[in-house]
Amino acid sequence: MRRFRQISAKFPLISPQRLRDEGKTLKTPLKGKDMMMRFLMALVLAVLMAPMAALAQGGPLRIEITDGVIEPLPFAQPAFVAETGDAGPMANQIAGVIAADLAGTGLFREIPREAHIQSFGVFDAPVSYADWQAINAQALIMGAVSMQGDKVVVKFRLFDVFSGQQLGEGQQLAAGSASWRRLAHKVADVIYSRITGESGYFDSRVVYVAENGPKNARQKRLAVMDYDGANVQYLTDSSTIVLAPRFSPSGDRVLYTTFETGFPRIKMLNVGTVASQLLPEIPGTMTFAPRFSPDGQSIVYSMEQGGNTDLWSMGVNGAAPARLTNSPAIETAPSYSPDGSRIVFESDRSGTQQLYIMPAGGGEPQRISFGEGRYGTPVWSPRGDLVAFTKQHAGRFHIGVMRTDGSEERLLTASFLDEGPTWSPNGRVIMFTRESPGAAGGAQLYSVDISGRNLKKVENGTAASDPAWSPLLP
Amino acid sequence: MRMDRADRVGYGVSAALHLGVIAWVLLGGSWFKPKPSEPIVLSEVSVMSEAEFAAMVAAAPAPSDAPVTPPEAPSVEPAPVETPTPEPEVAPEPPPEPLPEPVAEPEPQPDMTDLTEPPPEPVDVTEVPPTMMPPVEVPQDTIAPEFSPRPKPKPAPRVAPTPAEAPEPDAKVSDLAQAETRPDADAAPAEEVEKKDEAAPPEATTEIVTEATKTEEKATTSAPKSSPRPRAKPTPPKSAPKTEPAKPAAPAVKKDAVQDALAEAMKADGGTGTGGTGRAPSGPPVTSGEKEALIVDVKRCWNVGALSSEALRTTVTVSVSMGADAKPDIGSIRMVGYEGGSEAAAKQAYEAGRRAIVRCGSDGFPLPPEKYDHWKEIEIVFNPEKMRMK
Repeated sequence: MRRFRQISAKFPLISPQRLRDEGKTLKTPLKGKDMMMRFLMALVLAVLMAPMAALAQGGPLRIEITDGVIEPLPFAQPAFVAETGDAGPMANQIAGVIAADLAGTGLFREIPREAHIQSFGVFDAPVSYADWQAINAQALIMGAVSMQGDKVVVKFRLFDVFSGQQLGEGQQLAAGSASWRRLAHKVADVIYSRITGESGYFDSRVVYVAENGPKNARQKRLAVMDYDGANVQYLTDSSTIVLAPRFSPSGDRVLYTTFETGFPRIKMLNVGTVASQLLPEIPGTMTFAPRFSPDGQSIVYSMEQGGNTDLWSMGVNGAAPARLTNSPAIETAPSYSPDGSRIVFESDRSGTQQLYIMPAGGGEPQRISFGEGRYGTPVWSPRGDLVAFTKQHAGRFHIGVMRTDGSEERLLTASFLDEGPTWSPNGRVIMFTRESPGAAGGAQLYSVDISGRNLKKVENGTAASDPAWSPLLP
Repeated sequence: MRMDRADRVGYGVSAALHLGVIAWVLLGGSWFKPKPSEPIVLSEVSVMSEAEFAAMVAAAPAPSDAPVTPPEAPSVEPAPVETPTPEPEVAPEPPPEPLPEPVAEPEPQPDMTDLTEPPPEPVDVTEVPPTMMPPVEVPQDTIAPEFSPRPKPKPAPRVAPTPAEAPEPDAKVSDLAQAETRPDADAAPAEEVEKKDEAAPPEATTEIVTEATKTEEKATTSAPKSSPRPRAKPTPPKSAPKTEPAKPAAPAVKKDAVQDALAEAMKADGGTGTGGTGRAPSGPPVTSGEKEALIVDVKRCWNVGALSSEALRTTVTVSVSMGADAKPDIGSIRMVGYEGGSEAAAKQAYEAGRRAIVRCGSDGFPLPPEKYDHWKEIEIVFNPEKMRMK
């Protein structure tokens, strides 16, 4: 309207009578009016047609995909080439472990070799992508194994079939023949990392409590195994009850709780030498639930003193114990954040068992669990974004995760008794203890993806509980 | 005079009907309710005019108390649900009580000699409502058949003793030719109509199609009466279509302010316009349905199962050039941009998107070939927001 007034002022409307009086013709005022109308309409049309013109200008067709599919990525792994005469069995074993590692994640699916069209006689043979596309293989793993004395040498290449290109450079790894499984895990970790973009977790170990005997007379001892349940080795005997082992950040030491003195005490064990030592304590107290700090230089643990349990920390050599909490409630199960700045723990200070976060040096805790039921055994994710926990609600136990502010709680499992979660080194998988009911029931180790998929039992051959995942081995 | 007489007849019949109904209500309706299973008696009656009645009475030796009854009982047809809708002008209400068996009594023959008017035409025998049927009842369930064959009327006895005179014969065209009085100059010469064999009119069919049938057919059929002709297979464009630059509309007609304004608007928008530079695709744009088909085709191959958590938080935009066969040019696939994650995560997300394009595009995407100009370059935004673990 204001614009119209401006235009009207520019082209004032003059009556014909006035024009006649002024000796002018009608032609002039009509022309001015016509121009004004044309200008106005041009203005309006320009505004209206601007987006249409922009649309007509085109550019690429643009679409947005917001949902896809979640299914295992099919990969093909032809038989590894045995480059030396005696490498055939080893090549098959290594290829088998690699395929099992990848398929065991639930993220990949191996295409049976019977479906393969192309086979390789040599490691450097050209890849016929069409043959692999025809069987819908999206990734192709080629490998070769050779024996060089007591050493095993593995070479591998990874291809993106539909892109028709190699993913990363080919690699070669070598190790003693006794460590061929670690060699296979290493190869699988590299492949996993190249495809998913996150580090693997196959070349890692798990320390746990191996159980034996009936439920009412259960014998327990520390054991360590590969992440997949292979290579079980016992660290202690079953003369005393042991609980809650925890790996050091470097994986060379284990903290655990022992009852060898009749009371719970914290003990540190060297995995390489299997030598162990009790950590110093204040007389008349009980210490338990230890865990290393991320730098491996200090320990956070629970100490019962005079009927009250609080959180304490001290150096790995037992120096400078310090109280972190001081409340009449029970505080236990502490776990450091990856940067070592905070500690998540469980406490019943609110009346029920809940999760709290406080600074690593102590301070006002912040409650993060507000759902129904009881929360316990929190473990901070190696990525730092999630906290895994055990939840008891409505007569059932769950393993769940939530963000560190308590939001986005997701329960991953549900059973008669699930407890004691531990994170894989890459923060993608959680291993935990599942106890079956009944007198014949026992504890088993299970693992589950943090998406809640791929729940599976860890086959280690014995009853087991209290798993603790090591970092990736060097 | 004839009308007055008819009115009188009407009045008489109406009065008789009303009296009959009242009497029936008083005597029959309340005291002698019929048994449901009683058969319904239908009677045939004849109607006579008042004059006839008067003549009959006059000619009769003595008044008879016997009511006029039909000569024979009509065929009994159960019609319990039929509403009594007597036509007052055609039949008097029969007496409410069940009639005795008709007595064969010869009708008195009135003396009709003094009547100047022709006797009324004989009236067809009509159905008489059931004698004991209540006038209005609540509709009741019935097991009677929904319809019954209408009884064939029997020929009514002639009332008039003498048949009516034969009507005058139809006028006939004279056989004698008469001379034309005056030729009609304006009249067009009569065309010789070619004599054709008799045939049914074009509308006639061998079947009788009722209106209900037509309506039913119209209602039940949903098949299209015609289908569009399938599009011809387009020839792949050999080169970018060269189009003559569209000349701005010459302002030949100065009076049309709209056209002038349009031309000025086009000038203002780009000076030369957008239609003639060859930059803009021609033809109708890709519809939302066609876009949706493309989305469905791509997303079924977009597998995010093996993506890391960070890659699942990364949105990548991928550009791809398309061939005329709707297959992607794999070498042209590139990441235009990303947001929400690190470069490494974006690379993983891009690889997943690239795999989706290559896999599902290997057989060609469902894109309309005639709109190739609109989709020869495609940008696909892979947004895994819905696929995140929450």
